[in-house]
Amino acid sequence: MSERVDGDPAFVLHTRPWRETSLIVDIFSRHHGRLGLVARGARRAGAAVKARLIPFQPLTLSWFGRGQLRTLHAAEWQGGGLMLRGHALMCGFYLNELLLRLLPEGDAHETLFDHYTLALADLNSRPEVEPVLRRFELDLLTELGYAQSLGHLASGGVIDPEARYGYEIGAGVIPPNRAAGYSGRALLALAAGDFSQPNTLAEGKLLMRALLAHYLGDKPLATRQLLIDLQRL
Amino acid sequence: MPLPGSLETLIDALRALPGVGPKSAARMAYHLLQRDRNGAARLAAGLTHALDKLHHCQRCNNFSETPVCDTCASPRRDARQLCVVEMPTDLNRLEETQAYKGLYFVLMGRLSPLDGIGPREIGLERLIERARDGVTEEVILATNFTAEGEATAHYASELLKARGLKVTRIARGLPAGGELEHVDGMTIAQALLDRRPA
Ligand SMILES: [Zn+2]
Repeated sequence: MSERVDGDPAFVLHTRPWRETSLIVDIFSRHHGRLGLVARGARRAGAAVKARLIPFQPLTLSWFGRGQLRTLHAAEWQGGGLMLRGHALMCGFYLNELLLRLLPEGDAHETLFDHYTLALADLNSRPEVEPVLRRFELDLLTELGYAQSLGHLASGGVIDPEARYGYEIGAGVIPPNRAAGYSGRALLALAAGDFSQPNTLAEGKLLMRALLAHYLGDKPLATRQLLIDLQRL
Repeated sequence: MPLPGSLETLIDALRALPGVGPKSAARMAYHLLQRDRNGAARLAAGLTHALDKLHHCQRCNNFSETPVCDTCASPRRDARQLCVVEMPTDLNRLEETQAYKGLYFVLMGRLSPLDGIGPREIGLERLIERARDGVTEEVILATNFTAEGEATAHYASELLKARGLKVTRIARGLPAGGELEHVDGMTIAQALLDRRPA
């Protein structure tokens, strides 16, 4: 069945050229999740819509059709002072790459949409990007069912802030094993969304890396590789 | 019925053009062979000639028939300014304005993190080398105001400033003769963010 969607809040994740004059636009919409739309004629000279189809801007999008034939027919900018710059801009690309790689097509994730909106606003306004990135990674993994609760043991037991623990993918926090990598205090802080301590950020980064590496598979993240290449210059 | 081999090869070759799929390529091939054989011959000769003659200018990275292009070699240009653009077409637009007398560097692309286009794929390293010629006083970043163009400008700026160069970015805001009433909201919002002392 063909669908028709009017004015769904959405962000552009990525665009790429399609045929002579069109664009394929990967979007993350509030009620329809990640989708690909064709913006017909968007690359023609003077097409006003192209300037609006840029990442990190709150839009409302309307489209019709289904499958690979969904066609964008309206894009409105929602306003706001969001303008990612510098390193925050690269962090924005990183969030988009995570969504493109991990979100299944066509699944609505409204809570995650709100987390993403908030993460962009935080990247725009806060000097420290690390807490924003860790929070979003954890929100994303949790929303997709890839991260188990960090607030208690997989067995249901209580986490001791003074002890160290392991994390087993698919199960959760486990008693200390040979590679016991995470302090109880950091795990409890992550579970509570408290990123104020440097150690929470450091251990959170290790844990998120391990989880993301598992679910992303062999193909490395292009945004991470680009930053490594830039450091070499 | 299979196509004659040479026709198939031609159609396949035409698909190298951006945005040209198998159908368009076939249409082009039939048009050239049937309706415009002179045009086809000129196209073939033009391609061969360009491939043979054109190289990247040692200084600006733009296409040139000589090791250093006419613009870079011109004594009338101000060698203290170096303007960085993404593509040769951008350079041409700036030249048309006759508002700039400095020199150029053409990146031949932009950083595009999600397409895997990094510093190695564009001329960032050559830009750094070029800007450190001892004559350049100001590097003007004129990459596009897209997310990718902004990212490119940011990292180029960091790399050049770390080497002691003065770096500026072209301004963004209302178009010449622009009236607030008729300009789109995103442009007005960015003009507000980028306001300057008056
Ligand atoms: Zn040159």
